[in-house]
Formats: sequence, structure tokens, C-alpha cells
Amino acid sequence: MTARSASDERAMPARAVTPSYWSRAWTENGPGYLFLLPWFIGFFGLTIAPILSSLYLSFTNFDMLTAPQWVGMDNYVRMFTHDPKFSQSMRVTLLFVAFSVPLKLSFALGVALLLNRGMKGLPIYRAVFYLPSLLGASVAIAVLWRTLFAGDGLVNKGLAIFGIVGPAWISNPRFSLWTLVALAVWQFGSPMIIFLAGLRQIPQDLYEAASLDGANKWRIFWKVTLPLLTPVVFFNAIIQTIEGFKSFTPAFIISGGTGNPVNSTLFYTLYLYQEAFSFFRMGYASALAWVLLAIVAVFTGVSFLTSRFWVHYDS
Amino acid sequence: MTISIDRRKFLMGSTALAAAGAMGGLSPAQAADVHLRLYWWGGQARADRTNAVSDLYAKANPGFTYDKEFNAFNDYWPKLGTQVAGGNAPDVFQMDYRYIVEYAKRGAVQALDEFIGKSLNLDDFDKDQIEGGKVDGKLYAISLGANSVAMMVNTNAFQAAGVDLPTRDWSYDDYKANAEKLSSKGGMKILADGSGNEPALENWLRQRGKALYTADGKIGWTADDLIEWFKMWADLRTAGVCVGPDDQALDATAAIDTTMITLGKAATTYANSNQLIGFQAVNKNTLTMINFPRAKAGAGGGHYRKPSQFWSVNPKSALVEEAVKYVSFFVNDVPSGLVLGVERGIPCAKHVRDALAPTLSAPDQLSLNFVSNLGDLLSALPPSPPAAAGEVSTQLTTKSQEVAFGQSSPEDAGAAFAKEAQDILDRAAKKS
Amino acid sequence: MTAEAQGLTVVTGTTPWRRRLGSVVAHVLLIGASILMLYPLLWLLSASFRPENEIFTSSSIIPSSVSPHGYISGWFGLSRSFDTFFLNSLTISLLCVAGNLAACSLTAFAFARLEFKGKNFWFAMMLGTLMLPYQVTLIPQYVLFLKIGWVNTFLPLVVPKFLAADSFFIFLMVQFFRGLPKELDEAAMMDGCSPWRIYYKILLPLSLPVLTTAGIFTFIFTWDDFFGPLIYLSDIKTYTVTIALRTFVDSTAESNWGGLFAMSILSLVPIFVIFLFFQRYLIEGIATTGMKR
Repeated sequence: MTARSASDERAMPARAVTPSYWSRAWTENGPGYLFLLPWFIGFFGLTIAPILSSLYLSFTNFDMLTAPQWVGMDNYVRMFTHDPKFSQSMRVTLLFVAFSVPLKLSFALGVALLLNRGMKGLPIYRAVFYLPSLLGASVAIAVLWRTLFAGDGLVNKGLAIFGIVGPAWISNPRFSLWTLVALAVWQFGSPMIIFLAGLRQIPQDLYEAASLDGANKWRIFWKVTLPLLTPVVFFNAIIQTIEGFKSFTPAFIISGGTGNPVNSTLFYTLYLYQEAFSFFRMGYASALAWVLLAIVAVFTGVSFLTSRFWVHYDS
Repeated sequence: MTISIDRRKFLMGSTALAAAGAMGGLSPAQAADVHLRLYWWGGQARADRTNAVSDLYAKANPGFTYDKEFNAFNDYWPKLGTQVAGGNAPDVFQMDYRYIVEYAKRGAVQALDEFIGKSLNLDDFDKDQIEGGKVDGKLYAISLGANSVAMMVNTNAFQAAGVDLPTRDWSYDDYKANAEKLSSKGGMKILADGSGNEPALENWLRQRGKALYTADGKIGWTADDLIEWFKMWADLRTAGVCVGPDDQALDATAAIDTTMITLGKAATTYANSNQLIGFQAVNKNTLTMINFPRAKAGAGGGHYRKPSQFWSVNPKSALVEEAVKYVSFFVNDVPSGLVLGVERGIPCAKHVRDALAPTLSAPDQLSLNFVSNLGDLLSALPPSPPAAAGEVSTQLTTKSQEVAFGQSSPEDAGAAFAKEAQDILDRAAKKS
Repeated sequence: MTAEAQGLTVVTGTTPWRRRLGSVVAHVLLIGASILMLYPLLWLLSASFRPENEIFTSSSIIPSSVSPHGYISGWFGLSRSFDTFFLNSLTISLLCVAGNLAACSLTAFAFARLEFKGKNFWFAMMLGTLMLPYQVTLIPQYVLFLKIGWVNTFLPLVVPKFLAADSFFIFLMVQFFRGLPKELDEAAMMDGCSPWRIYYKILLPLSLPVLTTAGIFTFIFTWDDFFGPLIYLSDIKTYTVTIALRTFVDSTAESNWGGLFAMSILSLVPIFVIFLFFQRYLIEGIATTGMKR
């Protein structure tokens, strides 16, 4: 730049600096921001704006035909004091997650351990166990499940061979949720694959060292395998739990969208859907969504905090 | 004799004809290609007839095409609601007495008064059926037929068990008395579980001088009424008179296919008088119809002649005039009336009814006679239910399941349901 | 695969005899479990080929007579034949694949290869959206699409993909790009290549594996998507296979099981085909990144 007197600089610092500052900023950051443009539009338009909007809506009554009506905390108050369907759907969802996730992971780990012995046909077994996981989230499978667990369905026919008279699983509120748990557990294939990959990463020499010390299979499992697998267990647990909270299609198809019998299959997502799209109570549904967000956030937070105590990362 | 045609004259004539043809051809084209979206609830039997009428309309109005969609009753309302909210409701859709107030208040149905006498012909239409389609004095829906509630009866089952068919005098006690004999053959129960069935409840309440709703949209019954209702059904259930909860829960969507009579779990089921045709189409056994049970011997007044369903028009449709024309054709055209028969109820236009009566088959005659001869079972049409009545009806089903599965006693359920029903109505009122 | 697996055989002090027995037991267990796992699918397949009256009565899994009745009646079972629905599903799925691949790779390239102010902040934001339950944005999104008239079209299902809404695939691709040597970029930049050329000519061609994985998973998720079409598609013309199946269940439930099962099998075919031919991508995709399927 040409030399300037002190007064000149004081007089016109902005004009001298600005063009090159901005053009420099542009050349440095421009490409990055340009490439991010689609994401920015999506992020602000389809994520941030809706999040803020749904927070606002949660404090209103909104049926989409007229403008939202501010009601303050009414929706939240109603939810926690006055709404048996809310507590029921919470109960159903938590029960579902509490049973399906540990069962799923147990089967996944168990079968992964079996397969990890290194055997002929591993790819075939792996494929066979994985296939239900791939197909399981579809409407077709939910329909199949409903048929299998009907009063005169295949499951009861199978039980009859052992002389057990099975209940009408789907239409009995004591058992309907368990059919959904069974469906979830049937899909243990994908966490199993993650476990397999995790097992494969455990160095051979650790096993050898342990067996040289005289450890039998069980001790090796508890002292070597499992501790080293904890990151994978943790990871699987989080993913499967979040998936469990999001589950919608099976509950919808099996109950015909009602959550019945007696709201025994009223998953939280299904309840939210009913409030929003059957009864058009968008404000209340938004409040329900925020409560779910809070729960997921707390769960994730607590999980990460407590993971320090049981998850061993190699260091 | 040879006819010699003067060539010139022929040419001129044919040109004139062609010109006339072209001109004539222009007018249907101007009537333009009308495409209406039609949506209704019902089974395949209804769909076939409705489509046949639409085809007749298309013949009379070249250029007319239509979209035909239908669902089971329970699925129909959420979907329609979504479409209304989304601003893309069908042009012509079916409406029910239970929902008309709600839809009128939401501005989702077209007021039809201005079309009467012009594109909408209601000259010899039953007056009470016209009234049924009015909200606050304005006409929003055209009744497609009068019906009343009725029980479908599996005659073969009764005959096989050696039990007399139910008569119009049977009360719940009579059903109870005959239950064991009927169930002895193959486990079929004599009654479906009607505790969650709103029309059954309404019929029973009316016989006791109560009602579901009052004219000003309030609940017309007390917790005590419901407690007694649930108690009655709990008693019937333990006595093996009605279907068990596991089986009744199979009837989730109100589709004819999954009712207890079609599934062979019960020998009777709660339905409407115009559904005999639909039921018979999917039932291998011969069916007949009888009234809903009396609350006790000699009690009457439960039934009423209801508009079974209506056609309403979407006020936001681009083709309101065309839609109204279609509706008018549907209820007035005699060949269409013959096709529709009494599947949607007894036709409301007298000239259609008169043309139809002689052609009816025996089961259809049954329907017609049933509605016309209710006698002491009949009393006045109740006011149209308030907004959110549909949700109360759903809540009744859930509550009844609670009692049936033993999760709640009739006392608790009756009291709770009274509170819940009031809560639902209050919530809906607050919104508008 | 087998070689690797064998290499991991745990060396313990057991005798070969005991090991053989353990192996046999394991095989028996596995085969039993396999049969149990697959039985529902096999039943569905066989039921779809059975005549109606046999479906619930016969106990063997092999149908006594193979009848295409289910497939024919099912295909025409709704007021529109199923080719409409398959076409809709296919269109939506392919568009979503295109959108995801394009938008996510652009975004991932920026995060992985470009430097710009605020990059770490935006990256953290992007990761944050991974944990967001979709219900929180669902309703305002619906209202938005309602207001601009996109409800009852494919647009609400497809356009978000073109705006990189699937953070998971962005993350996947970022990880992959980070694995590619930076020297390529640097060499290209020395030659005066613009970032776009680096992306288009260098990175993309090398990214075939991750693009294939992302594409396959996008296709599967979209093909199976039920909730999205449920709320956005109300006209039967626009239905996807998932919604059509549900309508089938509701409207003809008890009277045409054969048709229902036949259409169910057909709806699973594309996924099964992907499974057969792209198994490697599926399994590696899950194993390395923990994708939910």
C-alpha cells in the first residue's frame, strides 16, 4: 500500500482496509460456505426454524385452520397432571425400551461370540441373522407379525405342539406389547455385526496371555473380552435405545393406528401422531415432542457421564 | 324404387349436418372435462355401487371423470381431517351425523341452501332427512338414505342350535336366557361385546329417557348411567353371553370384515339397517336383521330414523357447482337409485323410493320394512352431536376394553369416563 | 473372511475332542436359531403362493399347490394396481438417493477438506442434529409444507435430501474423505484447480465405496419409510408401497390374505436384492460406523 500520513490513516482507515478484508474473507471462506450452502438452507430452514417454531407452538393451541392461540404452560401442565394417555404412552415406551434393548444386545453379543469362534459358514450365518434386521422395519413385516401372533396364528400353532394354549397375543393388552418386543429382538442382526467387528479388534495376544495364565473360557470372557467390548456395548446401547424411542411403524400397523387394546401399544411416537394428525392438536403435539427431546437429551447426557465408570477405552 | 338423391342437395345436406354436428360437438366440449374427487367410507359392495352411479353420471355428462377412494369408517376421519387441513379435501365426500357439527364449524363443508331448486333438487325429499343435514339452520349435507340401528343375525347359527330367532321384543335378559343353548354348539356367543359401541349405548340410554348429548351440546347422561352400562356388560361377559375381550379387540377398525359375526365369534352383531347387503356379501351364513335389544321387557324408544350418511361438498373446491350437480343426480336419478338400492339406507327422494320398492330382493325388502315399521321402538331424532363427539366415541371403546380386560371395575370406569367425556368436550370448546 | 475368523479362534487348553464337540454344539445352536429366525419369512413366502383357504389351516411350510392367485388379486386389490405404488416408491427412493449423494458429499467435502471460519462450530452443529428426535421438527415442517402447497406431493419427502438433511451420511463421508491422502488435493491446488474441480474430479471418483454405501442405505430407508408418506401423501395416486400395504390391510383385511402376503413379499424384494448383491457394503457400513440397520 502507498505510504500514508498518520492523519490520512485516521481519516480513512475503513475505506482502505475494507475491500481487501472482505475480498480476502471471501477467497478464504467463500468456497467453504458455498459448498455448505445446501446444508445451511436445510439446517436453518428445516432444523433450526422448526425447532424454535415447535417450541413456540408448544405453548399454544393450534389446529392449523386458525392462528395459534397462546395458552402458556397449559399443555405441559395438562400433560403431567391431567393426561392418562401421556403417562400410559410413557410407560409403554419405557417398558418397550427397557426390555427390547437388553434382550437385543444379549442375543447380539451371544451369537457374535458363537460366531467368533471362527467356523465354516460364518458369512452364511451372519447373513441369515442379519436379514431380519434389514427387513424388519418394513410395513410388510409388521403385517406378518400381526398375523403370526393372532389368536389362531403360527405362534400359537407352534405352541400347541408343546401342548401350550397361547393367548391371543395381539388383541390382549397383557401380551400385545411383548409381540412388539419380540419383533425388536428378532432384529438383533445389526448390533450383532457391530459386536463381531468389535470382537475382531481384540488383539489375539491378550487371549493367549490370559489362557497362558490358566484362565478358562468364562474368566477370559469376563476379564478380557467384555471389558474390551464396553465401548461397543455402550455404542450399541445408545443407538438401540434411541431407535427404540423412535419406533413407530410396528406399533401403528399392529394396533391399526389406535395403540389398542386399551392403549397397551400406545408408543409415545404413536400418541404424538394421534394428537397431531388425528385430533389436530398441533400445540399439544409440539409440547409432547419437546418432552421427548428433553428425555432423549437427559438420557444421552447421563449415559455419557456414567460411561466413564464402566467403559474402558484403550489408552 | 330407386331413390335418387340430388347430388347437390346431398352435399349441402351433409355439409349442414356436419356443421350441425360440429356445433353440437362444441357444446359437450364446453361442458368441459369435469374431474371430481369422490371419497367415502364403506366396503367393496358400496364401492361397486357408487362407481356404477358415477359411471351413469359420466354417461349423462360426457367429459366427466372421477377419482374414487374409500376407507373403513375409523380410518376415514383422520385422513379426511388431514386433507381438509391441507386444503386439498376431495370435492365430494361422505359426512356423518356424528361429525357434521364439527365440520360445519370448521368451515369444511359447503352451505347448500343457495343451490336448492337450481342445481340441487330436493322437491320430494323427506323433510326430516333434510333437517338432519342442517347445522344452525343452514343445510350442509344431503342425506343419502335413512337408516336405523339394527342387529345382524346369523340365522344358520340359531337354527343349528335349535334356538328361536330373536324377535323385536327381545331384551338383554332374553339374549342372556338363550345364550347357553346357542354357545353349546361350537362356542359361538350369542352377542358381540357392545359395551364400547356408541350406537348401542345411545340406544340403551334413550330407552331410559336419557340421551348421548343434549341440544346445547352437553352430555346427556350421568356417571351412574355408565356405571350401570358397564356393570350390565360385565355381567353378560362373565355369564358367557357376549364375546370375550380378546376376540372383541379384533374389531378395531369397524370394517365389516372384522366384525364378530363375520369372524364367527358371535351370532349377532351391532350394525345399521342399510348394512345387511354389505354384511351378507362377506358372510357365508344367511343373515337377517332385528332391532337392538330392549333395555328391559317393554322398553322402547331407543331407535330413530337417522340419515345414514350424507354427501357434503368441499367449499374450497374449484368445482362446487359441478359437485352439487353430482350430488343432486346421485339422490334423484332413478336408474342410479336402482343401482344403489338400500345399501346406503332407504332413499330419501320419494320418487326414487317408489320406483325402487317393487324391485327389491327379499333382504332389501327386509331393510325397507325394518326402517318403516319400527313402531314403539322409534322416538325422535336426537340433536346432532357436538364437536369432538367422535373422540368421545373412541374413548368409550378404550374404556370398555379396560373393563373387559379386568383393568378397571365398572364403577371406576363409569365414573372416569364421565370425567373424560366432559374433558374432551371442554377441550374442543376451548379451541373454537 | 473364514481365514480371518479362523485366525481368531481362541487358543485355550481344551482338547481337540472337546473343541470339536463345542463346535458341533455351536453349529447346532446356530442352525436352530437360523431356522427360528427365518421361519416367519419362509412362512410369508409360502403363504403368498397358497390358495386362500389353505393359508391358515395347513401346517407345513411347503404349499401343497402353488397358486399365483394371491399375486394377481393382490396386485389389483386396491382401486389402483400396485404398479402405481411401486413406481412411486421407486421414484421417491431414487430421487432421495440422488439428493443425499449430491448434497451430503458437497457438505462433507467442505468439512473435510476446506478451511473456513467457523468450520468447527458448524461441524459440531451438524453432529448435534444427529441426536435430534425428528418429532421436534415434524410439526412445523408439516405446517411449512402445508402453507407452500407441497403436501400431497413427493416434494416434502425428497427436497430435504437435497438440502443435506441426513447428517449421518455427512458424517460418514467426512470420515471417508479424511482417509484420503491430502497430497492429492495439494497437488491439484498447485496446478491451480478450484475447490470445485478438486471435489468433482478428484475426490468423488475416489469415493465410490462410501457413495455406494450411502446410496444403498438411503434407498433402503426411503423405500421402507412409512411415517413420511403417511403424513404427506393423501391421494391414492401418490401412495408408496408402504402406505398401499397398510391400506390393503385395513380395507380387505380378512378377505384377501393371499393378496396381502403376496404384495408384502413383493415389497421386500428390492431390499432382498440389495442384500444379495451389496451385502458387503451393508455389513461393512454397519460394522465401521454403527448404522442402525
